[in-house]
Amino acid sequence: MTTWIFRLVSRVRGLFGQKQADSEFDLETQMHLQLLTERFVQQGMNPKDAYSAARRQFGNTTLLRQRHRESRTLLFFPNLLLDLRYGLRMLWKSPAFTVIAALTLALGIGATSAVFSLIQGVLLTPPPYQKPQQLMLLQTVRTDGKKMDSPRGWAAQQWMEWNEKVGSFQGIAGYGWTFNFLIRNDGSQSMQGMEVSKDYFRLMGLKTALGHGFDDSDFGQGHVKSILLGYEFWQRAFGGDKEIIGKTVRISRWDSSPVVVGIMEPGVRFLPSPGAAKEPNYDVNATVDLWVPADPNPKYLKDPYWNVVGRLRDGVTPQRGLAELAAIIANEGRAEREFEGFSPQLEPLTDEMNRDGRRILLPLLGAAALVLMIACGNAAALLLVRGLQRQQEYAVRIAMGMGRIGLLRQVLTESLLLAIVGGTLGVGLAVFAVNLFKVIAQHAVPRLDGVTAGWPVLGWGLGLAVLAAFFAGAIPALRAFRLNPMEVLKDAGPKGTAGIGERRLLRGVAMLQTALTLALLVGAGLLIRTMVKIAEVPSGYNTSRILTMSVTDVQSQSSWAPFHRQALERVAALPGVQYAAFAWGVPLTGNNWPATLDIEGQPPAAKESDKIALPMRAVTPDYFKLMGMTLIDGREFRSTDDDKAPSIAIVNRAFTDRFFPNSNSVGRKVWFGGRDKPGIQIVGEIANGRTDDLTQEPSPEIYLPLWQAQAFSKHLVVRTTADPGTVVVAVERTLRSVDPTAAIENVKTLEQIRDDSLASRTFAMHLLTGFSVLGSVLTLVGIYSVISLSVASRRRELAIRSAVGAQQKDIRRLIFGEGFRLIAGGVLGGIVLAVVLSQVLRSFLFEVQPSDPATFIVVGSLFIGVGLLACWPPARRAGKVDPLEALRYE
Amino acid sequence: MSADKSEVLQGTLDMMILKTLHALGPLHGFGIARRIEQVSQDVLKLNEGTVYTSLLRLQQQGWIESEWGTSENNRKARFYSITRRGRTQLAVETENWERISGVIGRVLRLEAEK
Repeated sequence: MTTWIFRLVSRVRGLFGQKQADSEFDLETQMHLQLLTERFVQQGMNPKDAYSAARRQFGNTTLLRQRHRESRTLLFFPNLLLDLRYGLRMLWKSPAFTVIAALTLALGIGATSAVFSLIQGVLLTPPPYQKPQQLMLLQTVRTDGKKMDSPRGWAAQQWMEWNEKVGSFQGIAGYGWTFNFLIRNDGSQSMQGMEVSKDYFRLMGLKTALGHGFDDSDFGQGHVKSILLGYEFWQRAFGGDKEIIGKTVRISRWDSSPVVVGIMEPGVRFLPSPGAAKEPNYDVNATVDLWVPADPNPKYLKDPYWNVVGRLRDGVTPQRGLAELAAIIANEGRAEREFEGFSPQLEPLTDEMNRDGRRILLPLLGAAALVLMIACGNAAALLLVRGLQRQQEYAVRIAMGMGRIGLLRQVLTESLLLAIVGGTLGVGLAVFAVNLFKVIAQHAVPRLDGVTAGWPVLGWGLGLAVLAAFFAGAIPALRAFRLNPMEVLKDAGPKGTAGIGERRLLRGVAMLQTALTLALLVGAGLLIRTMVKIAEVPSGYNTSRILTMSVTDVQSQSSWAPFHRQALERVAALPGVQYAAFAWGVPLTGNNWPATLDIEGQPPAAKESDKIALPMRAVTPDYFKLMGMTLIDGREFRSTDDDKAPSIAIVNRAFTDRFFPNSNSVGRKVWFGGRDKPGIQIVGEIANGRTDDLTQEPSPEIYLPLWQAQAFSKHLVVRTTADPGTVVVAVERTLRSVDPTAAIENVKTLEQIRDDSLASRTFAMHLLTGFSVLGSVLTLVGIYSVISLSVASRRRELAIRSAVGAQQKDIRRLIFGEGFRLIAGGVLGGIVLAVVLSQVLRSFLFEVQPSDPATFIVVGSLFIGVGLLACWPPARRAGKVDPLEALRYE
Repeated sequence: MSADKSEVLQGTLDMMILKTLHALGPLHGFGIARRIEQVSQDVLKLNEGTVYTSLLRLQQQGWIESEWGTSENNRKARFYSITRRGRTQLAVETENWERISGVIGRVLRLEAEK
């Protein structure tokens, strides 16, 4: 160990005073030679012979001096500069080669570093909490292991007890999702917020950017007195006005106007509130607009509506925390019937946050890496071919005494230079790609708004360039390393040809590229088939010419009915509008209202966890007609089904199939909150639709009349006679004429909503298709150059063949045969690779297996066809080889 | 290795030089080369230049040190001498060498007896 340090120190010292050391060494060798010569003279040689003998006995002085210089100092700083200069000169002198190789690498590096930048921004950037790895979401599962019909939180009574008793946690806090409107006279603005318990900010380690957080007096029952605004919302809605601190703001549904006491630090996003996930504006990846202090209401301590987060103590494992928690919760379940049947589950916050991002980004990273490898393959082939052209030069260098290591270094330096040029171009491409992704992939990749195309792209790009240089340069460098100068100098073949060994190597590279490309193509093919299948699925409703927007009346409860009745009347009367309806639960928005209920004929639930929970939706009468959902039994809603009329509901086919399989639903009753309450009569049944998700089978649904259910947040749905875009302005103006403060947001056609719901699949499909086109082009270029090189190297043989009678078509067949064997081998390898790799796409596929034979056959045969086309030009060239060349050759 | 004059192994040369400096005190490169030639009685063949590579290596490891002085016939020469660390190292290497050569010797004898 100390020896090693000694050596390093002296080598670092050796960096300085090179000249003096050199001259001292020369002096020493000269003296040695002199003394040796004198000795030989004394032994009786004549002086001239003595000097030669001395030199022989001493060895090669130049080489020795070089070795000394190398080992005296740190490796090769001086040589590196020389290598770099030389490498640059070589690249400059063959611009075509340089441009092609650098561009090839740029494509691979660009694709990979773009995806890396997304990963860096989305998955690797930690949330702005202190030690986020300690934070655990305390989720609810059923103790009997069955799936829960709808998500459930925890009762305040429970988590307050844990906070006192569970030693593995530093603390436990409750939170919830809330949704409200900032009232403004020119159209109110929606706010998504978090209700947080007293300990929340301290537990998470959040700080305000301006003003201060909540103090204990802010927590209590009654009106909310103080709020915090999210940084981004503050910028958006108030233009970053610092004067807002200490002022009141008007918020809908609240009786008093709260004071803004502070602004939260930037970049704070939601924690999941599964119970609220079906709300129209719920977006767990958004930044929090509003913070509201929340204290458990003593009247509702047993209601399970709190989401809970805890911070483990230093060094405590989640398993231990879970075990301790589970024991307490089991006790609570025994003591309190309403808590029975549920168990906790700890989910690290960062895992939960990254789940969706990981699902889409990791497969894409894999795809990008394949493109990079294909690009490296091309660059390696180019470098190898160039290396062949320069074999003579290498041989001369070796013969002149250049060490193998020196040659290796020289070759690697050149490929490194090339990769850096390519990497720089690639970074440009990546910056462009990241900005493009931010536009097209908003709905596909969570938290994409936090990604910037900045320094990380540059870092990743150059890092990848070094990696690429190593991959692409390794084979040519090793070839140069094993070069036998005697052989090369002896048989100086014509330039631009390759021996059988090199050709085999190049064919191997092209075959590998083909295999990788095929894996990419299969991935793209599977996703394309998925999208086709999804397009073919009968949704059960129309999506064309339907405009939707979320419309909310932010005034008092009493104005609810007049506003909506009037608004609907006026919008329906607009020219170009066929039908208009209000609905909570527009398809594919994910909106509905999960409720537990009792159903006639079903046994009452024995345990809390056994209760039936189903998604509710609420609509106005014209909704089913508007959406094209057919009534198959009973009647539709009427405008007279309001809060004065008896409560009614319409169910779908799947509901009847599940609860009344051999009978019908119409005439039956359901109850919310117990069978002793007046029930809700089912008056109609509609056909099934894939309302939640196009890829899921229809599930039981219940629709209530909106005039009875009076939903706060909802969509206005309009079916137009022409392009929905043309009526937007008129509809908005009409709504404002009813109430200027009404909030009108998220204006979208149903087709856009449909596209958004498929966004991650579409994005994956587009990206994979793009990558596989890129990979295919690179590989085809690779195949073309390998076959071209082969024809060039076999000219003489081909000439002899045609001289002894081979026809053009025979020769072409020969070349095509070589191409076919290469491509078919690659395709076979690619199929094996694809069978393994396509498994990662499983969660994106719909009605297509990862090993779908049709996709494999089509993609495989297509690639063989296109690959053979790439062999056509060299095959034609081969057919035209003049038999006279064989005679003229030597 | 079947040549009549065995080539000198790198590590072995280092050890021989250390031993030479240990036994004879400060010497210049030529002197070391002569001493090794004399001791090995032409069994070992070496390019004398490699002595200098070896000397540089030993110096970097801190086992020997050097200074410029005047040789017996009044020429400027660089004299090498062993350091304290060098002596320790020599002791270690000598012990190693004896142990290994002892083992190898025994093994070879065994083979011969069969």
